[in-house]
Amino acid sequence: MPEVFKDYVREKFSRPGPLRGVRVLEVCTLLFGPSGPSFLAEMGAEVIKIELPPAGDVTRSLNPFGWLYREQGPMFMHINPNKYYMALDLHIDIAQQIFKELCVKADIVEFNLRPAVTNRWNVGYEDIRKVNPQIIYIEKNGFGQWGRYAEEDRPSNDGAAQALSGYAWMSSFPGQPPLKQSIWICDYYGGLMGEVAVLAALHHRRKTGKGQYIEMSQSENIMRTMGWIWPYQQFTGKGAEPTGNRDQCICPADTFLCRDNRFVALAAPAPDEFKGLCTAMGKPELASDPRFRDHATRLKDENAMALLKTIADWARTKTADEIEELSVRNGFSASRLHNGKDMLENPHRRERDFVKYLDDPLYGRYAEHCFPVMMSKTPPKIKWTVRPVGFDNDYIMTKILGRSRSQLDELYMHGVLGRWKDMQGRRPPKEWDGKTGAILRG
Amino acid sequence: MTDYKRAKWAQWADHVRSLDDPAKNYDKPEALDDLVVIDVSSRSMAGCYCSSLLAELGAETIRIEPPGGDIVRTYSPQGIQQKGTGFAYLQEGRNKFHVTLDLETEEGREIFRQLAGNADVIVETFPAGKMDAWGIGYDALSKANPRLIFTSISFLGQFGPDSGRGQYDYDNVSQARSGIQYGTGEVLPEGKTADEMPWAVPTKAGPWIAWSVSGTFAALGILAALHHREETGEGQAIDVSTPEAYQRLHDYALHWYADQGVVQERFSNLDTALWLYGFFPTKDGGVFLGGLRLEMWKAFVDILGKWDEWEADSWTTLAPFMKKDWQLKYQAMINPLTSRFTSEELTRKSIEYARSGRLAPITPVVAEIVSPWKTMHDENWGDRGIFTPVQDPFFGSVVCAQAQWKATETPPRTKWVCRPAGHDNDFIYLRYLGYGPVRLAELKEKGVI
Repeated sequence: MPEVFKDYVREKFSRPGPLRGVRVLEVCTLLFGPSGPSFLAEMGAEVIKIELPPAGDVTRSLNPFGWLYREQGPMFMHINPNKYYMALDLHIDIAQQIFKELCVKADIVEFNLRPAVTNRWNVGYEDIRKVNPQIIYIEKNGFGQWGRYAEEDRPSNDGAAQALSGYAWMSSFPGQPPLKQSIWICDYYGGLMGEVAVLAALHHRRKTGKGQYIEMSQSENIMRTMGWIWPYQQFTGKGAEPTGNRDQCICPADTFLCRDNRFVALAAPAPDEFKGLCTAMGKPELASDPRFRDHATRLKDENAMALLKTIADWARTKTADEIEELSVRNGFSASRLHNGKDMLENPHRRERDFVKYLDDPLYGRYAEHCFPVMMSKTPPKIKWTVRPVGFDNDYIMTKILGRSRSQLDELYMHGVLGRWKDMQGRRPPKEWDGKTGAILRG
Repeated sequence: MTDYKRAKWAQWADHVRSLDDPAKNYDKPEALDDLVVIDVSSRSMAGCYCSSLLAELGAETIRIEPPGGDIVRTYSPQGIQQKGTGFAYLQEGRNKFHVTLDLETEEGREIFRQLAGNADVIVETFPAGKMDAWGIGYDALSKANPRLIFTSISFLGQFGPDSGRGQYDYDNVSQARSGIQYGTGEVLPEGKTADEMPWAVPTKAGPWIAWSVSGTFAALGILAALHHREETGEGQAIDVSTPEAYQRLHDYALHWYADQGVVQERFSNLDTALWLYGFFPTKDGGVFLGGLRLEMWKAFVDILGKWDEWEADSWTTLAPFMKKDWQLKYQAMINPLTSRFTSEELTRKSIEYARSGRLAPITPVVAEIVSPWKTMHDENWGDRGIFTPVQDPFFGSVVCAQAQWKATETPPRTKWVCRPAGHDNDFIYLRYLGYGPVRLAELKEKGVI
């Protein structure tokens, strides 16, 4: 282990995250929008999530097969950690004014509304850059702000991006209908890429003092990950087609059913790895078989199929764990398919503090993933989970904008600021004592 | 681009386009043009993808391969190569300078150490411990260059009980270990076996998504570390494990198991947690249908002409629809109805409904499930600069996915696609280490470059 990571987990909280001092305003709902600012929040940025009162983010309602956690949508919890919760009705002009005051004191603003809506609300890029020319302003949605699909006002979401990009097409078995992913990959991936754009813009601003406007479509983002498919289609004149679990660019690389009815994935393209696999299978002679002699030769369909058949037959004689063990001993890569149970119980994840139990003032102890980038000098971390709609209004309005108690009362009275509706996921959990976790509340 | 009906807000669209059209990217500054990045990744495309993102933003990126090239150059369907390079690397060699260096030799490592003294960022993907064993890990390099951001992307991370396994990082294995593949795929009907239905198994995503995700998380970490460095002068080591990075994009499965003991299982083309949200058949293929708010689901029912029959008026919440049995019940009712239309017809109905339906402007999401061939030839994406071919001096005109975001000031851009291994040895070794033809010939003779 490198010296620098020796006490990483123990010392995690002794140093701030890398984005300490960066302030972000988020006016986002569902998954594509809020996922990105969460990444910044986990890296130490101050993220203020602004919702429309009193119902807030739709994700508060979502749940797998009816399971809610302390009345809260588990996805909402997972997607929105470490934020401050403000409810500001941006349809009202005074709210728009308050939003602009916050923008003056912010570095980054994020929206995920349909095209041109921010402009209609008087908080579009042109409005905001007048009050803060250094602002980094990003809008994320299905199709961007211009072009045919955007102007047709097509709604979009993750599944649409999977469908329209060809991603689903490529993620199925030959001859079978395209398959939807079980995760909202285009939401999350788009959210992730959005922050690459934002942090690059932050670096540019440091050098030049200039802010900028960034516009992002979730379909376009996922296409960027589909690398080889595009030049393959251009140069061969053929459409790329799916190959199930077989990686058609790497051989061998596939998923196999094992004796214990579990699955294992393995890969062994490099000469040392392939030799190791052949040895593990008890067929060292395969490594010098002319059909398999080098990687490019092995990739030819007929050779690949013959080889994968041999491996599949062997895999049926072993358990998944045995194959994983053999891979370590023989120097190729393999893993049994992990699931929710492994996510929680696998000691490796726990000892790296990638999976941990949070201790939240409102939601108590629950298991969560941490940020998957370990940074030796500025460890990212997860500290708390979500809050009811408008829970941190007073804190934000007082600390950042210096509003007095009576001014706040007036804003509440006019519905500019709002608090939660008496509804699942919006109000505090029943277990809450009415004060733990509240900041600057009289 | 064929004509389409302009939006009421077309003026806004035109204004934004005038500011951020990718066609103007090359006139704009580059966000990272003050950085030097060394990508010494091996066997894994996660490193190449990570350094591509930085190179697209203008970082001077030096890609180091062993003499003869990294094996990633052979990653390609059927092994097809274009002038000695497979299609995968043809995408992720972009904007980089390509040099060769044999790190297995003492002299090669010494040269690497000197190059690293010039770098802001290093990206590597060897199994944990390899760079340290060579004496060119973070602990060694940061002594001479404390501003260095040293980024490791690996299968099992730099620390933790499994970290020392010595295995390289492969996309399909990382997808398997992330926990995501387990819950994705066709459901095997009761009484059937995987031999009878070999496609009804846990299924990985086709593209190299685990690699792309870990590469992108690494790039994000690098940019955050850069922010910290500019504030404090302090560099650092970054550790990304690909299965963890991909798992982080999973949502509630961990929490669900921890709280309820439920392991999330496959649910084919429906969604365990969302309604309306799934793939449905059409006359000529299939569509994605989405409506996560009650009104959107009702709008869809209206489009199908079932508003009255299904009593949509009486629905007050989406909650019951998320339950498994309701999902299956309604799926069975929807399938024959959507099968009467083509994908295009359903798409048009949804767009039309947004204008004139009873719940307008609310409308469900309808998206045709297309092949990547169709995606690549869809004028909308072409117009937005996604598939604009790059005119490469060596490989000619090459289609690259690019312009993944648009920006007024520092958009990403692709200037060239790739180079043969070692193509830039002369330039880079002269530029950074002052090696002229005599020294280079000597190193070549010894097989170091």
